[in-house]
Parts: sequence; C-alpha cells; structure tokens
Amino acid sequence: MQDPGNKKTGLIFFPAFDWAISPTHPEREERLLYTRDQIFEEGIMDLPEISEYAPVLAKTHDIARTHFCVPRVEDRITEAHLIAAGAAILLAEEIISGRLKNGFALVRPPGHHSMRVVHGNRGFCNINNEAIMVDYLRRHHGIKRIAIVDTDVHHGDGTQDIFWHDPDVLFISFHQDGRTIYPGTGFADELGGPKAFARTINIPLPPGTTDESILYIVDNLILPILEDFKPEFIVNSAGQDNHFTDPLGSMKFTAQGYARLTEKLKPDLAVLEGGYAIETALPYVNMGIILALAGLDYSSVLEPDLQDLRESGEISGYIRRIVETHLKNWEKRDEAFAASQTIKGDFFQEKKRIYYDTEGISEYRSEKLRICDDCPGYLTIETSASRHFDSSGTALCISIPFTACSSCSAEAHDLYEKTKKTREYRYMYLQDKPQDIFLSYDFNTGKELRSEG
Amino acid sequence: MYVGVDVGGTYTDAVLLRNGAVGATAKIPTRSNLLESVLEALDIVLKDVDTRDIKRIVFSTTMITNLIAGKKYDKVALLLIPGPGMNLKYYDFKTDVIILSGAIDYRGREIVPLNEREIEEALVSLAEKGYRKVGVVGKFSPRNSAHEKRVAEIIKEKYPDWHVELGFQAGPQLNFPRRAVTTFLTCATREPYNTFVNSVKEALAKRNITAEVFILKADAGTLPLENSVEQPVETIFSGPSASTLGVEALTPPDVTEVAVDVGGTTTDIALILDGQPLLSAKGARVDGQLTQVRTLAVKSVPVGGDSVLELAGEEIVFRAERLGPAYCMGGPAPTPTDALRVLGLTSLGDEGKAREAMENLGSPLGMSALETAEKVTDLVVSSITNEIKKMFKEWEQEPAYRIWELLHKKKVKPSIVVGVGGGAEGFIKRIAQELGCKPVTPPYAAVANAIGAAVARPTLQLSLRADTEQGYYIIREDGIQEKISRHSFNEQKALELAKERLLQKAAGYGLKVAPEEIEITYQEVFNMIRGWSTVGRLYDLTVQTPGGIALRVEMGGK
Repeated sequence: MQDPGNKKTGLIFFPAFDWAISPTHPEREERLLYTRDQIFEEGIMDLPEISEYAPVLAKTHDIARTHFCVPRVEDRITEAHLIAAGAAILLAEEIISGRLKNGFALVRPPGHHSMRVVHGNRGFCNINNEAIMVDYLRRHHGIKRIAIVDTDVHHGDGTQDIFWHDPDVLFISFHQDGRTIYPGTGFADELGGPKAFARTINIPLPPGTTDESILYIVDNLILPILEDFKPEFIVNSAGQDNHFTDPLGSMKFTAQGYARLTEKLKPDLAVLEGGYAIETALPYVNMGIILALAGLDYSSVLEPDLQDLRESGEISGYIRRIVETHLKNWEKRDEAFAASQTIKGDFFQEKKRIYYDTEGISEYRSEKLRICDDCPGYLTIETSASRHFDSSGTALCISIPFTACSSCSAEAHDLYEKTKKTREYRYMYLQDKPQDIFLSYDFNTGKELRSEG
Repeated sequence: MYVGVDVGGTYTDAVLLRNGAVGATAKIPTRSNLLESVLEALDIVLKDVDTRDIKRIVFSTTMITNLIAGKKYDKVALLLIPGPGMNLKYYDFKTDVIILSGAIDYRGREIVPLNEREIEEALVSLAEKGYRKVGVVGKFSPRNSAHEKRVAEIIKEKYPDWHVELGFQAGPQLNFPRRAVTTFLTCATREPYNTFVNSVKEALAKRNITAEVFILKADAGTLPLENSVEQPVETIFSGPSASTLGVEALTPPDVTEVAVDVGGTTTDIALILDGQPLLSAKGARVDGQLTQVRTLAVKSVPVGGDSVLELAGEEIVFRAERLGPAYCMGGPAPTPTDALRVLGLTSLGDEGKAREAMENLGSPLGMSALETAEKVTDLVVSSITNEIKKMFKEWEQEPAYRIWELLHKKKVKPSIVVGVGGGAEGFIKRIAQELGCKPVTPPYAAVANAIGAAVARPTLQLSLRADTEQGYYIIREDGIQEKISRHSFNEQKALELAKERLLQKAAGYGLKVAPEEIEITYQEVFNMIRGWSTVGRLYDLTVQTPGGIALRVEMGGK
C-alpha cells in the first residue's frame, strides 16, 4: 500500500447510460442515474480530495491475459466491458505509480461472476474487471501479493475460480448464504486449490445480517488475515446489494455500514459490483464509499428511510463461530499446503458444471492442475458449453501462471503443440502469463492467432 | 450598424460595424468610472453617425468583476436547506450561514419537511445581525423549488423590504455548493448592477440612442440590458468572450483555432473547435469560489508584453507585474517587448534602447543582446504553448458518461493560431510554429474584443425535466411545475413543450427566434423500471436559441 500523504482519491464514474443487458433488466441504463444526481448535486467532483478521470478502453489482450473467451474475446464482450475493465486498470496504474492515494471505479457493467472461461454472460457479468486489473498489475508493475475482498451480497464465484490455485492472491468474500441466493456457492469449506489453501476464504452470512456483524467480521477476521498476508495491493469488489433495501438480497446493511467497512478495509482500489436498489441505496452507499476513501466525514450520509435495523442473537452467535473456524483454517494454511504435496500422480483433477443464468448456457469443465514442487503448476481446462441443447464443441485452455517454473512452461507449450496435430477439440488456447503471450488455435481452419502484451 | 464596446482592465475599446466592415474604432484608457469610459468610447465611434441607424449596441464590462473583487456590496447571508449528505464543515461560503431543516431528494420528492418556527427564528437572528439580503438555497431545489419558495414567502411576510434570491433560479444546475455561491453573488451584485444598468440607459437616452442594447456574458452569449439584471453574475468575465468572438468574426468559419490575446502582463487563451468557442465543462471560478456561471474555457498565463524580466540565479524569469511600458518605450525594466524589438518582430519603441535592455539582462550570463532576446522569446512562447497543449489535453480527457461519447472522442489539432490584443503580433508566429499551425494576425486585431462584442448574438436557454411516474414537468430556470399525463407524454411532446416555452421567453425578451433555429444542447431519456415493468420515464432536455456570431467581419489576415 502507498503512503497517502496529500494525494487524492481517483474516481472514474462511468454509468454507461447507453448500455443495458435488456430494457427491464436490473443491469440497465437507469442503474447509476440517481447516483449521478447525488454525487453531482453534492459537488463531489469539485472536492479538492477527489480527482475525476475519464475511462479508457482495455485492450483485448488485457482480457485474454485473464480469460479464455470462447471462441474469441470480441465475440463475448461489448465496448462497455472494455471501458469498465479499462477504468479499473487506469486507476490501478495511477495508484501504483503513486499519483493517487486510492481509487473507486464506479463503473458498470460488473464482473465478479465471470470465471476463467467465458462462454457468455452469467450473473450480469461477462468479464472480471478486478481479475483483469490484477493480472495487468502483476504483468506491468511486478506486483506479487494481492488481496481481493468481495463485499457484494452474491458470492464472487468468478473471482474465486480465477484465483483458486493462486497462492499469491488472497480472495475473501462475504455474502448471503448460497442456499438462499444466486449463485448458490461460497460455502465456508471452499478454501482454495491444493497449492493455495486458505487463499480463498468464504464467509456465508444468514439473511438479515446487519452492519454490526459485518464490521465484527472485518475487525476480527479480515483485518487480522490481511495483516498476516501483507498484500501489496488491496482490491474491494464493492457490491452494494447487502443494503437493507436491495430487491435481490435480504441483508440489513446501511450506507453508514458500507462507509465504515471501507474506512477500516482501506482498499487501494474499489470496483463497483452489484447493487440494484438504484434509488434507495446506491446514491447513498456510493457517496459513503467515496467519502470514506477520501478520508472525509461521511456521518451525515443517511438514507431517507433508514430504520433501526437489528439482527437476531442467533446470527451474532453464528458470526462468532465462523470467524473462529476461519481463523483456524488460516493458521494451518501452510500445513495444508505441505500436505497437498502428497497428492498422488502428476495432476490434480476436478470436474465442474457451470450454469450461465443470463443466457441459459450450461458449461462442462474438466480441469487438471500440474502438481509441481517448484511452482503453482500450469492448468488445463477442457470446456464445452451447450446453449439450448446446441453444443459449441470442446475447447482446450492451457494457462501458465505468472510464477511458473521453466519446466512447467515448457511442458505446457509442448502440450499445446502436440494437441495442434490432433483433432480432439474445436478450439485451443494457450495463456502464457510470464511471457505475456496469448495463442488461440482454430482446429477447423488451422489458423493460429497470437497476441502479446 | 452594430456597435461593440469592451471595457477592459486597462483599455476600453469600441468599434462601429457598417455593412459588415469596420467603420470606426476607439481605444481609450479605462477610467475608474466605468460608465464614463463606456460613453467616452461610444462617443468617439458614434461621431458623425445618425443614432437612428444603429441596430444594436453590445457592451462587455468589468462591472461585476470589479464589484466582486472589491467586495463593493452589502452583506448577504445564506439560509441553506442541505438535508442529509455531505457534511457542511467542508464548505466555506465566507458569510453567515444558517442551516434549516428540510430535504428534497434527487427526484424532487420531499424527504424532510420545513420547520417554520425554525425559519422565523433564523430570520430574527439575521435581522439582529443587520442583514437585509438573503440567499435561500436548497439541495436539489432545481428538482423541486417548493422549500425555497416557501422560505421566501415567509421572509416577504416578516421582512417585506429584504432582498431575497433563490437557489433554483441563480444556480439551476445540479451542484449544491456552487448553487449557494452563485446565489450569494447574485444577491450581492443585483442592486449595484441595477443602478449601473439604469445609468447606462439614461446616458443612452440623452444621446437619443434607441437601438437595442445587449450585455455580453461569460459564455459568449448576450442578454438584453433590461433582462441582464436577473442574472448579473453571468456578465462576469465577458472580456475573454469578446476577444474570442472577435477572432471568430475575423477568421474563416468552421476552423479549429486558438485565440491568443497577449496583454500587458497576462495572456488569455481560448479554443475554438470547428467554429464553436469551447465552453468550460463546469462553471466559472469567481474570487476563488466555484460557481455555476457558464463560461468559455479560457486560461490565463501570467505573462505579457510588459512583464518584468529579471535574473534568478542563472535563469531568466518573468514576474507577473508591470512596472511601466517596455524599456524601449521609456520604461524602467527589460520586458518581452524589448526582446521582440531586438529580433525585429515588432516595430514598437526604440531599437537601441531595446538592445540595451537585453544586453543588461543577459550580460551577467555572458549572453549577447541577440541571444538574450532569443532566450526571452522562447521563454514566453513556451509558457504559452505549454498551456495551449494542456488545454487540448484537458478537453480530450473530459469525462464521458456514455459509450457513444467515449468512442467518439477525437483528437483535435488546431490549424491556425490567431493573435489579438496589443502584444500578440510579435509572438504569434513563434507560437504557431511551435504548434505546427498557421499564424494569423487579423486586421483590427487590437480591437478584436470590441468587434466580438458587436457581433455577439443573444442566447437564451431553457431546461425541461419531466417525470412521468410522478406526473409533472418542471422548467428549471423558472421553477414552473405543471401536470402531465403519464400515458400520453413522450419525447416529442417534451421537446415541443420546451421549444414553445423558449419561444415565449424569447418573445418576453423582445427577441425574434424562428422555431427551426432552436438548438437542442442536452437530451436525456431514461425508462424507470420498478420490478420488471416500466413505471415511467424521465426526460431531461435543454434547448437554446442559436449562439455564435451575427456576422463575419473580414476574411483572412496578414
């Protein structure tokens, strides 16, 4: 983290007033309209503590560094997505370069449900703005340890998937219990891949949880873990749907709660995720977050229909227990890491089925992680997606992590070259993060495309 | 015939335009009495003119600038209705402020009602402190002015002789702190400005001048003199508007150009993009405070022909100060004008004296007069071109809130650099060269500002906001609220309504505007969805009468 000094808080406000998933979808033009009215009327952009930036478009290579878009990046995104990801990258660069104290990408569309492989939109997301920004920082600024704290009411399953095997990226998500809300995951026993134990921490919360409990979790679990992990950069996936008026969530957070959470967490960069109470929550929560980041008094940011919000004693008891459990998990993170070395064979395998709610796509994945003593190992994913019983064919994705050893890198490249000679797949991709190369191969045409960062 | 008069800080300039050509010009030193300066310049250009032939007179004055800078106004208190949100400790409105209960939200709905007893108590305390002028400003008052209006009613009842200004009229844009400052300034300046307007009217009547009289605004539009008292603050900073319009009138249409007005100790820079003067994205900064006053995006560089040059160690630097004319014209110190004289870029003053000035300045550094003159010219040129480049960059980096806007942002490059004002000629070639542009010094460059005033057109704006879920529309500037039918209202109707209202307003100002001339400067439509169905639409639009210039004076330059 940077020394704050007299530096400003960078703000990119990109409401995408001309973009919607569909006319009546929660992710529509109107979503940040009242937030705009509020922050403009309050004169936020004139404050000496705030610096407003215009967004820039991310490059398709920046997307390919993180995602495998099937068949190509251009087929899975619109300009709006490049702008949202570009905004996160631009602010992160300004912060890392020391020109800003911190920042808030108040942008849409959101991204935290987007996984490594992208066949379409799921949970209102196509590409993962935070993950793309994180990989950009690692590539261009040599940042190694990064923490992402997801405070959206929905589990950040996309971010979790992308960093599941990564021991250098700590992902912490609290959210409404997956048994009661989309996407139905994020349980306490989802703790990361064999080489990244407890680098994923999920805190499912019962419906009706209030500010008090969430701040308890921040103070007693999240901050102590961050203290140990010592990230060079902290990202907040700042969803606002834990608000007591959100139409999709059932939680009881307030704008004050979100502001205090931001003040305690001190993220380097916050990136807007969900939040669909566009009139009753967003104008106030966004303002609370901006003021907290800028170190300004937010005590008068109060929703008009604020009531006395309480939670049951049962919830408070549960919160204390889950904090205890996770503190224990965190303590034994290195033992479990060592234990994973005993996995038999060269590969760790998992099968997954992923549902894309927005577009009704079912994706089947078979993942293999190369178990290596010297690095986190390269990952291969066989993926096929069916849309209304119409299958797209299978693609093979090979990802070489930033800290890969030379033998894993060579093995992954070998696999790519050998597979080219077969006809097993429809598409194949190789993501070489250390060399920042992305290859994609179309088996029907025999054409290879290459991009470099 | 058109007449333009620009009262600047140092000089007052006037021109008479006859059949699209300059008929007479005047340049006199500005006196401490602005009216005297106006009339003196006017009398010079109107000599031998039948006053009945004058169609229009446009004034640009520093009246409001001087009033505000000199704080020559009665004290004004602010009654604010901020409701929840930003903590008010971050604002310094530089006067007594009383906070009232009450709150309106972004859609104009009342969240917290007013407390009338509290208002009466506030008034008593202001009366005790001797206030008779009050600005009443609510957060989101442009969306619903009921609270502000109610407070005004109570004041009228209790203190009928007080002067009250309301925020929704003085500052109709969304920005509460700027609205408060703009309302304060409007309240402070209205009375003295009114007195000024009346004396102008009297003086013109004495001269049998019956032409329509306008006053130039910071956004390069004009208002009828009569109506300008409604928004006196808008007439601030009209000098740069005058010279920018002058440049537009003196150069070919639709070009992208930089107007550089080199004065005694400051250089004003304005951009004209595809023939349109660039407006500042936000309002003007007045006396250090941010306002909602629409203004051209003008930047001032603190260097001019008479700036004092001196050594700071091994460096030549300039001070933003004038000790007198250039050394070559009998002044006490070396100036950029002396450098230009040595290089043969100007014919002002005495060459020998200029050489002497440069030699004295450069000799401690072992530089000849010529080398020093080159160095000085480079210094002045680079500080001006750096600012120009910065302005283009800032314009390119203006935030955009729509994908369409962001993708259509383009890099623009000026094709010509136009020098106006007394000191421009010598520098303009170098500045243009640095920017890869063609230099132009138009004829009458020295009175381009007065020409700009003469050709300025009246502009009127009107903003309509309709909320079909709540079933009403409002005219922002007038605080008018009328009912509409949720089902039959649409974008077409919103536009027709706005245009109709604008035409009415124009007629009230005595302006003839054809409906097809009306420009739409802002248009926004949002569907309001609650649950999964459309419950209403929000329309926000701004229309205006055409801006720009009434005529072009003479093409080209030298």
